[in-house]
Amino acid sequence: MTRFSTGGWRKAAAFLAIAALLFAACGGATSSPPATSQEPGASTPAESGGQIGGQLNVWTAWGGTELSAYQAVLAPFIEQTGIQVNLLTIRDQDLQLSNNVEAGTSLPDIANPPNPQRYAEWASKGIMKPLEDYLDMTAYTASTLPGLLFEDPNYGFIDGKHYLLMVKSQLKGLIWYNPKVYTGDAPETWEDMVGVSTSGDTKPFCAAFESGDASGWPASDDLANIVMRQSGETVYVDWYEGRHKWTSPEIKQAYETFGEMVANDKVYGGTNYVLSTFFGNAGDGLFTDPAGCTFMEQATFIPSFFTQNDPSVKAGEDFNFFPHPKFNDEFSGNVEGFFDTFVMYNDTPQARALMNYMVTDQAQQLWVDQGGTLAASKNITTYPDLLGGNAATILQGAKNILLTAGDYMPADMQHAYWKSLLDYTNDPSQLDAILANLDTVQAASYTQ
Amino acid sequence: MDQRILSAILAVVVMPIVLVGYIQLGEWILSRLPKRLALRMRPYVWVFPAVAFATVFMVLPTINTIFISFQNAKGAWVGFDNYRFFFTNPDTLASLKNNVLWLVFFTGFVVTFGLLISVIFDRVRYESAAKIAVFLPLPISAVAASIIWKFMFEFQPASHAQTGTLNAIIGTFGFEPIAWLINTTTNNFALIAVGVWTSTGFAMVIISAALKGINSELLEAARVDGANELQVLRGIIIPLLMPTLTVIATTMIITALKVFDVVYTLTNGAYGTDVIARQLFARIANSDYGRAAAVGVVLLVAVTPILLLNIRRFREQEEVR
Amino acid sequence: MTALARDPARPAGQSLVRQARWLLRKVPLHVTVGIVVAIWLIPTLGLLVNSFRTLHDMKAEGWWTALFPPAGFTLESYKTIIATSGFGTSFVNSLLITLPATVLQVVISCFAGYAFAWMKFPGKDLFFVVIVALMVVPVQMTFIPVLKLFAATGLSGTFLAVWLAHAGYGLPFQTYLLRSYIGSLPREVFESADIDGANHITKFWRIVIPMSVPAIAANLIFVFLGVWNDLLIALQYMGQSANKPLTVLLAQQTTSLGGGWQVLTAGAVIQMALPLAVFLGLQRYFVRGISAGAVKG
Repeated sequence: MTRFSTGGWRKAAAFLAIAALLFAACGGATSSPPATSQEPGASTPAESGGQIGGQLNVWTAWGGTELSAYQAVLAPFIEQTGIQVNLLTIRDQDLQLSNNVEAGTSLPDIANPPNPQRYAEWASKGIMKPLEDYLDMTAYTASTLPGLLFEDPNYGFIDGKHYLLMVKSQLKGLIWYNPKVYTGDAPETWEDMVGVSTSGDTKPFCAAFESGDASGWPASDDLANIVMRQSGETVYVDWYEGRHKWTSPEIKQAYETFGEMVANDKVYGGTNYVLSTFFGNAGDGLFTDPAGCTFMEQATFIPSFFTQNDPSVKAGEDFNFFPHPKFNDEFSGNVEGFFDTFVMYNDTPQARALMNYMVTDQAQQLWVDQGGTLAASKNITTYPDLLGGNAATILQGAKNILLTAGDYMPADMQHAYWKSLLDYTNDPSQLDAILANLDTVQAASYTQ
Repeated sequence: MDQRILSAILAVVVMPIVLVGYIQLGEWILSRLPKRLALRMRPYVWVFPAVAFATVFMVLPTINTIFISFQNAKGAWVGFDNYRFFFTNPDTLASLKNNVLWLVFFTGFVVTFGLLISVIFDRVRYESAAKIAVFLPLPISAVAASIIWKFMFEFQPASHAQTGTLNAIIGTFGFEPIAWLINTTTNNFALIAVGVWTSTGFAMVIISAALKGINSELLEAARVDGANELQVLRGIIIPLLMPTLTVIATTMIITALKVFDVVYTLTNGAYGTDVIARQLFARIANSDYGRAAAVGVVLLVAVTPILLLNIRRFREQEEVR
Repeated sequence: MTALARDPARPAGQSLVRQARWLLRKVPLHVTVGIVVAIWLIPTLGLLVNSFRTLHDMKAEGWWTALFPPAGFTLESYKTIIATSGFGTSFVNSLLITLPATVLQVVISCFAGYAFAWMKFPGKDLFFVVIVALMVVPVQMTFIPVLKLFAATGLSGTFLAVWLAHAGYGLPFQTYLLRSYIGSLPREVFESADIDGANHITKFWRIVIPMSVPAIAANLIFVFLGVWNDLLIALQYMGQSANKPLTVLLAQQTTSLGGGWQVLTAGAVIQMALPLAVFLGLQRYFVRGISAGAVKG
């Protein structure tokens, strides 16, 4: 048996000496973080035409085709400015960002905003940088859709300054149909739409609400579109800001109206199918033979799912949309919009350059050309297909572009909201209990 | 890039060297000390790295968590309010009930299957190959697992061809398709089944390792004496594997208390499948750190009985020596 | 492998009845193994098969239909992932994160496991309970304090931070596992070593490690797996695109709405390849006979 006892200390010392040397050598390698974006570079922000160089850390929630679209948009920028853009896809940015803020560690230069509840705090603490610092506000306000510049905290307008840069938009609540199946006119009112006659096995509606941990969000859009047109924008805003009760007659009526669209006998596949199926497959019923359904409510981004699922379907021929039907004339100008935004967290020349670039007509047009999105700029008129153009027209002509209600509720409330729609679809008889529960959550969650 | 590869290689080589060197140095110093002092100091030298890591990364944050659990979202002291919320809110109570289901069924099935599979596979020559099938779920990430099980649980209306494996199977026997994750009779157990499918491989690997440590002469002698397999299992294998089974059971109980990924990705807690850890996640997303912390502390308290059991078993083990 | 674990040599030259009876005893065993393997394999098989199909096919019919003609296989999903810029780098990054983190944890847990198992000291049980209790703490609760620590020590965003973090989160379980296994090693072996005058280091390297090889191998597998598949910890402590591991690259294959998920089927297969290889490679350590003697309770 080898005995370590005598030579032990020599070996130990040798070990530690080598270790210390190696650590010193590699210590330099591991502990030096990659070049931060605090480049001691140009002291004056260069025009987007000049070479700036340096690094830029950008966090985005985009992946797949969205990401490649963004990369296509960035390509000219990178070429012009010579900046190295480090793109990182992070889905749950609110968590990562707020952890970094709490811990005092460094933030990315540009990223998505946190949850709306944090806007006011982060704006006042200077964590988010205002557009006024680096953007030509006159040009920006002139070219951006007015509905996106609403001076309200939820749109990133706090204490007289804008903090959210609007780069893309979407329109929600469109009624999709297959022109080969439904040849009639666009129904004007909700009653018209629900009353459209169908033959054989074709149901009036298709829907699909599954989306992993975000299941229920398509239903939340359906309900939101009803509330805003049935009861108006004041009720709508009060509702998602927690001032209007869920058990109120307006919201209850909205749920019941929503129920007309997802009743077990009115929807393709029955409610089990609706609840189990990934939302991207909601359109399946439009293209089966015989058609499974006549109408399907979704946003402007759904066509990419249609074509991915079945490359043979064509815009305009196999699928088209008309706007959401109205309930009354008073509130028919309300539409539900959605926008993508970026926030600057570190004021560097590179960050300024990119923020400025993203709202130029060049970038906006490039984005739109990639497909699947609407621009934030109102100067864009050429769309790759007629659908985009039609949607943009609706967006530009809307009286009020209202927000996606759920996104502006506290996370708890939003989740309860989504869940309530799943529960309601599953068992409409539980409506009163469901709404009462939502009131409880509402009372508890709007704390800040 | 080269720099990083170099530093990683160095790390792989240097870190063990440093650790071994540390132990060597420690032992050398101890050998220079009076015997009784050395005897008392030695254990601390050996456990120091592990305890240090655990303290920095887990103990201190946990103490921090306990403090936060008595505060509200704005940082003011609210005493036991957060705990009161947890035990009176219907959503959190429902999730607690589901965790109990997980505790009982998930743990029970994983330990049982792990044991039976280890024992059965041990008896065939192609054991290694067979083990792969059961091990395979482990390297599958949560996201991929959710995709797999979405394929399994998929629901198509009866008029359409079934794309989900389970519904296709019951379809061939003439049954109507079931919405496994929506139907409240099946959904919790469907999720638990996913958990069992994933974790049994873990139990199998560890139990199998311990099984190999049992002297085969012991088993052979028993069989020669006429004992059938069940008796061998009950009389020899299980008693000898008790330490390992306790480890597995404890780990699975902790997993059942912490279960999150499966529920989050497949149902997000809807239709009555919610669990405590998902509630915690929701609280954090809402910046309700106080309430989230309270959930964390409840979990800690819930796990203590099992640990006391472990201590008792360790003490018994040491007395027998 | 013992004589008993092997199928006894077919009784050659025995009567048909005896051969039949032998077979009958063996068949249920193999059938059972077959059923278990099938149940466990089917879900994964579905994923594997679907990773070679187009989205359209996956939605039209179940994966099992692809096993029979017309097959309609495609490498599209795999090509998409491999063609993603930074794929190779992210694979290497995953290795750079996983290997050192694994080595670090396994070594530390061996030392600690031995000490907890065979040394006496006051508060031993308390220490141990605290360590194991920590396994239940959800990792989210530790992010902010640890982030502050890394910032204070200048480790923010480095690989070292991630290695240390993984060690911190993983050590409770590993110490638990190894302590349990090492604690059940036979006392006699240690006693005879003591008689020979061996010190702890000798006992550690000559007895504990060789006899604990199956447990260490098992531990290695799980640690490797856990770190290789991690997404959250790498993002939280290192959040830079240059260092992103494979898990992040795969996460970015889908749009923020979940579109393009079919690519993840191929992603999952790619990601599980290496841990599976590790598992297979370590199989030879799961062999009976390494421990020189019976394991006593």
